[in-house]
Amino acid sequence: MNARILVVDDDTALAEMIGIVLRTEGFEPLFCTDGAEALAAFTEHKPDLVLLDLMLPGKDGIAVCADIRKESGTPIIMLTAKSDTTDVVRGLESGADDYVVKPFNPKELVARIRTRLRPSPEVTNDRLRIGDLVLDVPGHEVRRGEQKINLTPLEFELLLALAMKPHQVFTREMLLEQVWGYHYKADTRLVNVHVQRLRAKVELDPDSPTIVMTVRGVGYRAGSTD
Amino acid sequence: MRLARFWRGAGRIWRTSLQFRTVAIAVMLTGLAVTGIGGYMAVVIGDNLFDSRRDEVETEHVRATLLAQDLFADAFDVEDPAQVDLENLAITVKNNILSSTASPGTTGFTMLRTPGQSTPRTMPRPQTQDFPEVITADLRQTVADGSGRVYLQSVTLPSGAPGLVAGSQVDVPTAGQYELYLVYDLTNAQATLGFVQQTMALGLLLLVVMIGAVTYFVVRLVVAPVQAAAQTSERLAAGQLEHRIPVQGEDVLATLARSFNGMADSLQQKITRLAELSRVQQRFVSDVSHELRTPLTTIRLAGDVLYDQRETFSPTTARTAELLHAQVERFELLLADLLEISRYDAGAVELDLEPTNIVRLVEDAVDSVQLLAAEKGSDLRLVAPGGYFEAEVDPRRIRRILRNLLGNAVEHGEGKPIVVTVDSNSTAIGITVRDYGVGMEPAMANRVFDRFWRADPSRKRTIGGTGLGLAIALEDAALHEGTLEVWSEVGNGTCFRLTLPRERGVSILVSPIDLPPADGPPLEEAIND
Repeated sequence: MNARILVVDDDTALAEMIGIVLRTEGFEPLFCTDGAEALAAFTEHKPDLVLLDLMLPGKDGIAVCADIRKESGTPIIMLTAKSDTTDVVRGLESGADDYVVKPFNPKELVARIRTRLRPSPEVTNDRLRIGDLVLDVPGHEVRRGEQKINLTPLEFELLLALAMKPHQVFTREMLLEQVWGYHYKADTRLVNVHVQRLRAKVELDPDSPTIVMTVRGVGYRAGSTD
Repeated sequence: MRLARFWRGAGRIWRTSLQFRTVAIAVMLTGLAVTGIGGYMAVVIGDNLFDSRRDEVETEHVRATLLAQDLFADAFDVEDPAQVDLENLAITVKNNILSSTASPGTTGFTMLRTPGQSTPRTMPRPQTQDFPEVITADLRQTVADGSGRVYLQSVTLPSGAPGLVAGSQVDVPTAGQYELYLVYDLTNAQATLGFVQQTMALGLLLLVVMIGAVTYFVVRLVVAPVQAAAQTSERLAAGQLEHRIPVQGEDVLATLARSFNGMADSLQQKITRLAELSRVQQRFVSDVSHELRTPLTTIRLAGDVLYDQRETFSPTTARTAELLHAQVERFELLLADLLEISRYDAGAVELDLEPTNIVRLVEDAVDSVQLLAAEKGSDLRLVAPGGYFEAEVDPRRIRRILRNLLGNAVEHGEGKPIVVTVDSNSTAIGITVRDYGVGMEPAMANRVFDRFWRADPSRKRTIGGTGLGLAIALEDAALHEGTLEVWSEVGNGTCFRLTLPRERGVSILVSPIDLPPADGPPLEEAIND
């Protein structure tokens, strides 16, 4: 079955054009033109991915993003007209996985969508340890003891990337390539914001992290399993 | 040391405080005037006192002389002149005179025989006890030669007090001519004079102090509003636009305050309006950005979809799709540049500073155009004698400047080498991009930073700029408080030099790299010289 993508954009021409591009690439687009109805459309259709315009009538994209995030970890890619720092960061903080700046070309959009929809990388063992957490890779689950921690697919992948090579220090660029699929210099704020979100969920004390450790001036690495 | 510090401090207060200066000048000038007046008055009063005392003494002496003369005459009138006891007579005369003198301070009495006469008898010298030895030979001579009037002489008594000696002739029958001397002590008059002078000095000193105080208050009255005005204008300059001077009364200072406030009002209005305009402009830019980008995105997607399928179209339609694709891309770049430059015009641009290794930054930029340069056959070289440190710059903007300069160099370099130089000195970082291509006339070189200006409209464009690249680069450089300059010569190529301050706020004294470049004049010409 084709992946279903909910396009939330008030500009019908653009939405239709995105629909055409998505269909030619083998996706099934669904449409919503009003921010206030976006959440209802999301719960009704249960799409595999959401393309979300930031400027929407009814309710702005950042609020919609936060609403969807409360309900599910479905990948969200923001469409922004401004590459304005504050807007992008606010969007990412409200839970968007990635963003595309208008005007974008179809290949770029499709590449971003495919990265978010691809299956997790093959792992030799089903269970991985990071800090005091256990990752159940096939089940996409993270547990601390008996307690299950809910992560979005992106956050799970970020944690998985670190856990798979516990001795490796990852630069932000490496993570951008591995988790977000960027093969050129991209916005390192993506990494910063999502590491913050991940820490808020998995760390006992996010101010002194033990799972996702910062290596000053370089990047991040997995916390020791002891 | 301490004194020097005191003078320095006083000098500083003198320069900075109008109040201090005015009070000091007032006190100094009144002090001078008062000293003059006081001195004059002291002299006049002293003279008057002395003169009146002198007149008193003279009158008294005249009376004493007459008394003595009468006593002698009476004594010799009754008895046999030869039997008169001169000694007793002398004592009687002395006592009578001393008891009759009314004025205080008569301290001495004596009668001296005028020398050089021969008479049947001589009178023994009558004199008071401790008669001071103050009668000079000059005075005696004058009195002896005189015609019977009273002679006065100022003397200093042995006690140190000022005194006055009065002398006159007295005829003693049978004993000849004698000189009668009275000595007066002027201590009293001196004390009176001293008291008057002291009172006067004190009064004048008080007057000076009072004038100082009055000046201080008067100056304060004038200076305080001026100080308030200065403070208010400083606050205004600092951006607190709602500050005003309090207006009191109807005088000239109130007028000053009112007109100052009026000026502040109109300034505030203008600034508010400008800020509002800038805000509207920024808002407009942001709206245009959004409103244009959404349809542009649709066009771009549509164009790309068509472009991807161009092989299935007829040749004409396929070419149309290609043109559409390329021009949409160009339009996009143009829109981005236009938005950027309008942000500069609206003053809505801020630097995003971070410590950046300049040589590394230039290396990156050079690497990014290496492929393009190789396509055109240009050998792209980097020479970096300096610049190996982290400077506070906005790397995104510097990279953009460099990409622009390098793009231009590659496009106009005619496949000849391109040399990028990085150097630094104590105040500045210099980056030059030098090509050895066609070059330009100086008149043209002057216009390269103009918006939408093209060196040669007929030339085929390969890289395709928007015509705004160098204008934006110039703005970027200016935003860094740096400069971007160009040197060019037809046939010898072009050299762009970017100079940035080494640290924020440090002004550039001299660029580390020369412009025109050291290899500016062509080799052949150098040889011919």
